[in-house]
Amino acid sequence: MANEGQAKTGVYRNALLAGLWKENPTFRVLIGMCPPLAVTTAVKPALTMGLSVIFVLVCSNIVVSMMRNLLKPHLRIIMFTLTIAAFVTICDLFLRAYTPAMSEILGAYVPLIIVNCIIIFRAEACASKSSVVVSMLDAIGMGGGFTIALCILAGIREVLASGRLAGIEVMPSGYVPCLAMQMPVGAFVTLGLLLGLANVLTRKKGA
Amino acid sequence: MSLWQKKVLDMDKLKHFIEQSWLLIVSSLCFGLLVAATDAGLSGKIEKNKADKLNRLTLSLLREVKDFVPVDAQFEVGLGRGKSDKVTVYRAVGQTQECVGWSFLAVGDGFSGRIELVVAVDADFGKLMGFEVLASSETPGFGDRIKDDYYRNQFKGAPAGELKLVSAGGADKVDSEIVAITGATISSEAVVVILNDSLGQIKEQMQKKGLIQATKAQSHEGE
Repeated sequence: MANEGQAKTGVYRNALLAGLWKENPTFRVLIGMCPPLAVTTAVKPALTMGLSVIFVLVCSNIVVSMMRNLLKPHLRIIMFTLTIAAFVTICDLFLRAYTPAMSEILGAYVPLIIVNCIIIFRAEACASKSSVVVSMLDAIGMGGGFTIALCILAGIREVLASGRLAGIEVMPSGYVPCLAMQMPVGAFVTLGLLLGLANVLTRKKGA
Repeated sequence: MSLWQKKVLDMDKLKHFIEQSWLLIVSSLCFGLLVAATDAGLSGKIEKNKADKLNRLTLSLLREVKDFVPVDAQFEVGLGRGKSDKVTVYRAVGQTQECVGWSFLAVGDGFSGRIELVVAVDADFGKLMGFEVLASSETPGFGDRIKDDYYRNQFKGAPAGELKLVSAGGADKVDSEIVAITGATISSEAVVVILNDSLGQIKEQMQKKGLIQATKAQSHEGE
């Protein structure tokens, strides 16, 4: 009994922690790369995007996990898409009602969460095979890892592009903003360097 | 094959169809209801947010305004290439119900995507009171600077409908010459074109409808 309990806790811990680093969707698995490139000009929109993805991921994982025994194999993708689309639409409506400014900055990228790979990937790889609790923890872990990655990218870009972090001045007054960081090229360069860093870190661990 | 056999076959097909897709049908209905309920609950607030923003922007352009009243008539603004847009013009009323100006939404193509401007003019459509950018997706750091005060201030008090873009000159002088933003000629020009087009066409339609006096306004701003 004790062993079983321990095994269960282990499964839960793994589900929760895998997304943060070992299977981090942005830095390790490299899926759902559109938001990291598109909405990381500043920390606030990046955080909003991350939280929206967590909300959609948790909801869709729970629903998919609940209906996993009813799913017909050839109809599963359409079921996933339907579930995700419903929650993304709800999320979009909430953003537009309660944070209109953020909703304007994020623009089309909120509805585009529907086609974010991470969510359909977790529905397929985890929620359609695991219990509701494991699916929920997995969603929180994966969403958390994604949000942290977005915020790191956005933090670096915002500081270099405007000298501000989340709207607060952090750089000395003589700092000359690097406008390129605010444009797509800044996103690609920053992401590339961070991916390189992630590779260096994991290689050292492995050796 | 008898008719009866055929019927059984059809029933089997239907049964198979429902067996395979009942989950899809049921959950579509549930999700549809969920989305509809959320929309019903929030659409009022979303509409109010939009109206608030428009009001805030217009108020920052036209001071001493008590209220905005939409003008009853419809205005059409041609956007080129055979397209046109319906525009609602708002009459801005001051403390004693006199007309202090007009405001409307003007749209057009920028360097990347549409630019939506809130435009305010004085009572006889003679002078611009300025514009605010409602929505745009111009390049940050370049075209994006159409939102900056130093560019926008050139429009405050400029003659309506006859603006010209120049590449050099004093940006602090208010006249029909608008100095372009360095590195963002297309965006600067887009704003001038949008303002000229919409102002000219709306002014004409306003005069036709008798909402503003034609000759007086013209001679006033003659030179």
